This record gives sequence, structure tokens and C-alpha cells, in this order.
Amino acid sequence: MHIVDILQQWSENSAFFTWLRESPSIWAYPMVFFIHTLALVFTDSASVVIDARLLGAVRRLPISPLSKLFKVIWIGVTLTVVSGLVMLGTDVQTKVMNRLFPVKMLFVLAAIVLTAVLRNQIASTGVESSASPLARVLAAASLVCWCGAIASGKFAAYL
Amino acid sequence: MKWWFVPLWKTLHYFAVAGLVGIVGLIDLRILGVAKGLPLRPLQRLMPWAFVSFLVTAVSGYALSRIDPANTIGPPVNVAYAAKILFLVLIGLNDVLYFATGLKRQVDGVGAGDNTSASAKIVAAVSIALWIGVVYWSRMLTFLAGAI
Repeated sequence: MHIVDILQQWSENSAFFTWLRESPSIWAYPMVFFIHTLALVFTDSASVVIDARLLGAVRRLPISPLSKLFKVIWIGVTLTVVSGLVMLGTDVQTKVMNRLFPVKMLFVLAAIVLTAVLRNQIASTGVESSASPLARVLAAASLVCWCGAIASGKFAAYL
Repeated sequence: MKWWFVPLWKTLHYFAVAGLVGIVGLIDLRILGVAKGLPLRPLQRLMPWAFVSFLVTAVSGYALSRIDPANTIGPPVNVAYAAKILFLVLIGLNDVLYFATGLKRQVDGVGAGDNTSASAKIVAAVSIALWIGVVYWSRMLTFLAGAI
């Protein structure tokens, strides 16, 4: 049996996922969806400002204190991933089989890796006024990946 | 209507929200004491970009209200939509308060490592709470459409 089928069956037999899937309460699925969105807003908000600064916006803003914002990003990423997996569990087959699902996962994975590399880059160089060419490339790539993840997520819902 | 109209506008709307909340939220968090190494004057220089982002959210939000009935007040009344607009108005009032009372200028003087005043912290906390509320009501739009 295919792994997706196994997970699908497990989710269908699970009391928690069945409740989440079938309950009309706004405290069930909608709440998990809200946590997913809110955590993503925190993640993307912090990323967008860091990326914009590294790409040359508001040069008077020192870069190294921005590294403190990665804590916000990691909390956001963790909550987004956990709530995303929970939502995935309610309907494994439909969600995994969506044509845009692998695209979204690829963007998400790349964005997370790029964010981690970028964090180390900022922390190790201690840049104050202008970012290194490498940091700029990483910032641009991270921006593209977050945008790609968002867009593929939005479009996936309409396929 | 093409199937990709709604997701396209939604994507644009979300991008602009990330820019807007990114700037506003960062200023709020810094006022509340996160990333204290950031001086607030250059941070508040980002405000015009937040305004540009706001215009994009407004235009894309208007477009969405025209093509997706879940993004309207109704009838039947969509509680989430009403609450979202109410929260946005409250955010506007909170922002007006921030500028009109001179708090913005006071915060401009807060350098790297400095603490902000209690009143600035209250305005920032209210701003963050209201924005979280806006995200909540936005998410509930489709779930509460036609609930009453």
C-alpha cells in the first residue's frame, strides 16, 4: 500500500482528525487555519523587513540587531509547520495529491534553509551598514521563496 | 471569470499585508522592547512603505469584495467581515492617536538600547492585538459567511 493511503486510513480512523474534519465549530478546523495564517504573517513580516534591509532599504538601520528577529521567525515557522501538518492530517489524500503541493513544499523547505543560512551569515559577519553580496543574494532568494510558498498555497486551494 | 482571479488577488493582498504588518509590527515590537539594538527613527522611516502596502491591500481587498461574496458584509450579514472592518477602523484611530499626541515624534528620539515610554508601549500593544484580530476575522470570512 502507498504511504499516502496508509496515512489517509490512519487519519480517517483517528478520533482527533475526524473531529477536526467534521466539526462545524469555528474552534475546530478554522482555529488551526487561523494559527497557520497568523504564524505565517509573523514569519513573513519579519523576513520581508530583514530582506528589504539587506537589499539596501533604510541604510541607517543597523543590521546586526535584526538578528534578534530570527527568534520571531523560528517561533512562526514552528507554529506554521505544526498547524500545517495538523490540517494536512484532516485530508491527506486530497492535499498531498494537489498538483501544487510539491511546489509549495519545495518553496517552504528552500525558504527555511535560506533563512537559517542568512541568520548565520548576519550573526558571523556582524555587518552594521551594508550587507555582503552573498547576504544580498540570500535575502533576494529568501524573498522569492516565501512569495512562491504563499502563491502556491493560495493557488492550490483553487485547483 | 477565470479560476485564477481570486487566488491571484489573494496572493497580491497577502504580499501587501506582509509588507504592511512587517513594518508596523516591527515598529510595535521594538517599542515593546524586542530587538532593542534598533534605533526607532530609521525604523519609523519605513512608514511611507507601510502606507504604500496599505494602498495595495485596500485595492486588492476591494477587488476581492467584488469577485468573492465571502468578502462582503452580506446579506446575510457576515460577522467576520463586519468585525474585520471595525478592527481596521480601530487601528486607524490608534494610528491617528499615535501621530496626533506627538508620540510618534517622541518615539523618534528613542535610540539603540533605549526604552520607550509607557504610553508608547500601550499604543504598540493595542496595535499588535488589533492586527492579530484582523488576521483572525480575515481567516473567519469564509467560515462565517452566511452564518446569520
